[in-house]
Amino acid sequence: MRLLPLVFTLFLAILLGLGVTWFAVSNSRGLDKVQSGAWIGWPRSGTVKADPYARAFVARAGELPLELADGLIFLATTDDDGHPLDGRCDTRISGVMPQARLWTLTLLDADGRLVPNDAERYGLTSADAIYAADGAIDVRLAPRARPGNWIPTGARPRLTLALRLYDAPFSFTSGAGDASTLPRIVREACP
Amino acid sequence: MTPMDDPAARMEFDGRGRRLRLPRWSFSGWSAGMLLSAAFIVVLAAIAHIVSILAMPSLAERTAYDLLGEQADPNVMVMLPDPTPQNRALPMMDPAFISAVCVFDLAEHPLKVRVPATADYTSVSFYTAAGLAFYALSDQAAGKVIELELMTTSQKAAQPEDEEITAADRLVIESPTADGVVAVRAYVRERGMREIVRRQLEAASCAPSR
Repeated sequence: MRLLPLVFTLFLAILLGLGVTWFAVSNSRGLDKVQSGAWIGWPRSGTVKADPYARAFVARAGELPLELADGLIFLATTDDDGHPLDGRCDTRISGVMPQARLWTLTLLDADGRLVPNDAERYGLTSADAIYAADGAIDVRLAPRARPGNWIPTGARPRLTLALRLYDAPFSFTSGAGDASTLPRIVREACP
Repeated sequence: MTPMDDPAARMEFDGRGRRLRLPRWSFSGWSAGMLLSAAFIVVLAAIAHIVSILAMPSLAERTAYDLLGEQADPNVMVMLPDPTPQNRALPMMDPAFISAVCVFDLAEHPLKVRVPATADYTSVSFYTAAGLAFYALSDQAAGKVIELELMTTSQKAAQPEDEEITAADRLVIESPTADGVVAVRAYVRERGMREIVRRQLEAASCAPSR
């Protein structure tokens, strides 16, 4: 205590503590998460069973999170290899969706807002997707129009994908293991 | 160990015995004073972190309850505008859905919520003022019309025990808090259905039951 003045030490300590808090609530939706490839889900974050970090996140974010009986949200900010989702690149999302009454796939920018485009096409849902014969989907995120399931990226450098599964019969409540397989996210071409 | 191998002892000798000093470079460039300060900072920072995480739900001023409370009267069902890139009533709304909310205050009366089934998936979720969901159900679980009564624990206890009324057609939900939000979400299968679903959802209501 002789080397650093007490006030400075106190200030530094509180700043550090609040900094960690800020980092935690801006980067995590809670401790209780399930992961599948690049997708991360927080089955209990929005409910009254949430942990303190999830409670802090929900209070600060100001959203009304999905209840597990309603649906479950998975977010991805990278592809399966860990590259950040870049709207200037072509990214492919392929695979079979887990069983659910319906699903929606929404593209968000770094601030969590919808990506503007002339077609007002902000994502894809189970009703308007085109499926392969085996029930798999093949979605392209690209700045320019692509045939098939295309979601325009507006050439935003950082993107977040939100996959919501509504009325899903599976149970992610264990929180321990991996989620049942979600579609793969692969970067294809990057200018 | 000879006295000269012990760094602490060596420093004492270097100080020519005039004053007992802590070793200056005992921990690869860190003096004991700095280590003590660092430990002090880490412990205090951990306390500041834990306290701020725990306090955030009560200190946050932009919860969904606050945001909606500014725009809508309590105990009335209000349709939310569709989210666009520029505007959103709440963060992280699903653009494939049409939403309505009812900010409730159970201080005086329980709340009656009535949501007609729309063309497709419809759900009703109940949130505390801190934004945590305590109950949700979808049209598949409820049938054609979702009818619920929301009340606090004491209001539920005060309900008359009339067996014919408390039959299965009355779904009573206990709210852990007197304030909160009811959110109704209806899925729009095709873009052209948007107006139809919106009109169907406009029939949803929430009102104090006297």
